Amino acid sequence: MNKQLRNALLYSLLILFAAAFVFPVFVVLINSFKSKLYISSEPFTLPDAESFAGLENYISGLEKTGFLASFGYSLFITVGSVIAIVLFSSMTAWYITRVRNKLTSLLYYAFVFSMIVPFQMVMFSMSKIANILYLDNPIGIILIYLGFGSGLSVFMFSGFIRSIPIEIEEAAMIDGCGSLRTFFLVVFPVMRPTAITVAILNAMWIWNDYLLPYLVIGSDYKTIPIAIQYLRGGYGSVDMGAMMAMLVLAIVPIIIFYLRGQKYIIKGVVAGAVKG
Amino acid sequence: MAGIKLQNVYKIYSDGFTAVDNFNLDITDKEFIVLVGPSGCGKSTTLRMIAGLEEISKGEITIGDRVVNKIPPKDRNIAMVFQSYALYPNKNVYKNMAFSLELHKMPKEEIRERVMNAAKILDIEHLLDRKPRALSGGQRQRVALGRAMVRNPDVFLLDEPLSNLDAKLRAAMRTEIIKLHHDLGTTFIYVTHDQTEAMTMGDRIVVMRDGVVQQVDTPQRIYAHPVNMFVAGFIGSPQMNFIAATLIQKNDGSLFLNPGENTIPVPESIKSEALKSYIGKQIIVGIRPEDISDNSTAISEHKNSVLNGLVEVRELMGSEAYLYIKYGSERLIARVDKSSTAKADDTVTLAVDENKMHLFDKETGVRIE
Repeated sequence: MNKQLRNALLYSLLILFAAAFVFPVFVVLINSFKSKLYISSEPFTLPDAESFAGLENYISGLEKTGFLASFGYSLFITVGSVIAIVLFSSMTAWYITRVRNKLTSLLYYAFVFSMIVPFQMVMFSMSKIANILYLDNPIGIILIYLGFGSGLSVFMFSGFIRSIPIEIEEAAMIDGCGSLRTFFLVVFPVMRPTAITVAILNAMWIWNDYLLPYLVIGSDYKTIPIAIQYLRGGYGSVDMGAMMAMLVLAIVPIIIFYLRGQKYIIKGVVAGAVKG
Repeated sequence: MAGIKLQNVYKIYSDGFTAVDNFNLDITDKEFIVLVGPSGCGKSTTLRMIAGLEEISKGEITIGDRVVNKIPPKDRNIAMVFQSYALYPNKNVYKNMAFSLELHKMPKEEIRERVMNAAKILDIEHLLDRKPRALSGGQRQRVALGRAMVRNPDVFLLDEPLSNLDAKLRAAMRTEIIKLHHDLGTTFIYVTHDQTEAMTMGDRIVVMRDGVVQQVDTPQRIYAHPVNMFVAGFIGSPQMNFIAATLIQKNDGSLFLNPGENTIPVPESIKSEALKSYIGKQIIVGIRPEDISDNSTAISEHKNSVLNGLVEVRELMGSEAYLYIKYGSERLIARVDKSSTAKADDTVTLAVDENKMHLFDKETGVRIE
């Protein structure tokens, strides 16, 4: 098979995959501009003069869901959790990678093991405990996300830290840094690609998460996924137009965040893999 | 500026392994000391203990008048150059060099002056904006030296700083470091496994093996009077030849060595009381390659101490040639003049300069004198 043909086949395949992934998002986008009736009857057609609803769905969605408040909660929880995860898991990973003893290897394996445990296995006991410990609020849930997010994050940071020559840290110690300054002025800047990767992966998950906030903080502080779910009224009635519009608004921030940082994802993942 | 004193220093790891065993050394101010030995001999560990990167298990290290055992690295006023350079990858050359001064809250103007001054000396002024990854090995090495220089430390610690460079650059940087030491007038402690670096750079050399100091002396003394077979074999390239020989006393009282079929007289200059106790026993004779010659002048000069051997390989080095010789069951290397006509498979007569022989105890390897 000559090279051109092979490339053509490869590209066709990639385009097909890309289309398959983009298609649902595209369907949501076009339907958010159609009036309710047409969404159910002709979900895959582009809006025309008859079906085009302008910004009507967006306005009704914003009114019905209290979207701005939900956006605020989602933003607060996501940003808070991501900062906590990046900060604490990078420090933890640095410690357990550089200080080698039985306790730190046990800790490392505990973090790795936490990735294997399915959420569904712990969700009920966890939400009960969260309730007892007064963690059922936007600040408390940050702590819970820190717990769930730190497994993968510590694992990724540890992999990367192992590839940083320890001499750099020793040079910093001789240059005048204590532990904290060594970490924040020397180690953390070197870990930037991994930190961004960890931030993106966690932000996407936490922003889109439905189950954990539903179980822990319920309807008191509705995050976006929960608010959108409330568009499903009683007896199966769903305001599809508003729902599509809110879905578009919900995915826009995370897509922007992803696009801005996506070049680091590859860097971060590869960097950790070199000397894992 | 400061002298350094190491008294009964030990490094014993938690698994019981002794990396440094009773290290004693008095380094005077402005001295250039080289710690040399094969890998795993404890030289880097010793340097790291002086730096404060490694805890001292027993003993005492003094820099200037201060015992530094419990003082963290940052407060010892030392600078260290690492084998891997250890430049901060996210900072440019200027920031790398200025980092420690910034940490010490030095005024910006003074930082700038010091960095520019060091950059000028090291000829890296044009690289100040670059990140380490955009530099070659030699340039990185200069930056690492510059980072150490700007601090005006009491002591410079250098841990195999040239071993990542190619041979040509290594030779050039060697000269530069010697010059730097001369210009800065600071105490230098330099760790290397390369005996050439040790010989060419150090005011004094510390030869180490298995955590134990074997000999501390000037390069000349170590080369001419190695205290044991290990030092004799480690310092010098090609390494010293060792041949087993029996010490014989003739009726007239004169002593002879009998390595194989030839005999070599023991000259007065290396005779000693201690040597007499070895009469009739086997000892090890050490001969440097340059003290074996195949030219006729040398043979007539040392006609009583000649060996006959078979040339296995001849290596022409340009200015000289090495002959790899089979002598009985032993193998010898002779460094001869490039005009030597000896070639592989020739049987040659070689003169040994008996005055430059080194005699060692066969069991302990210790020099007999």
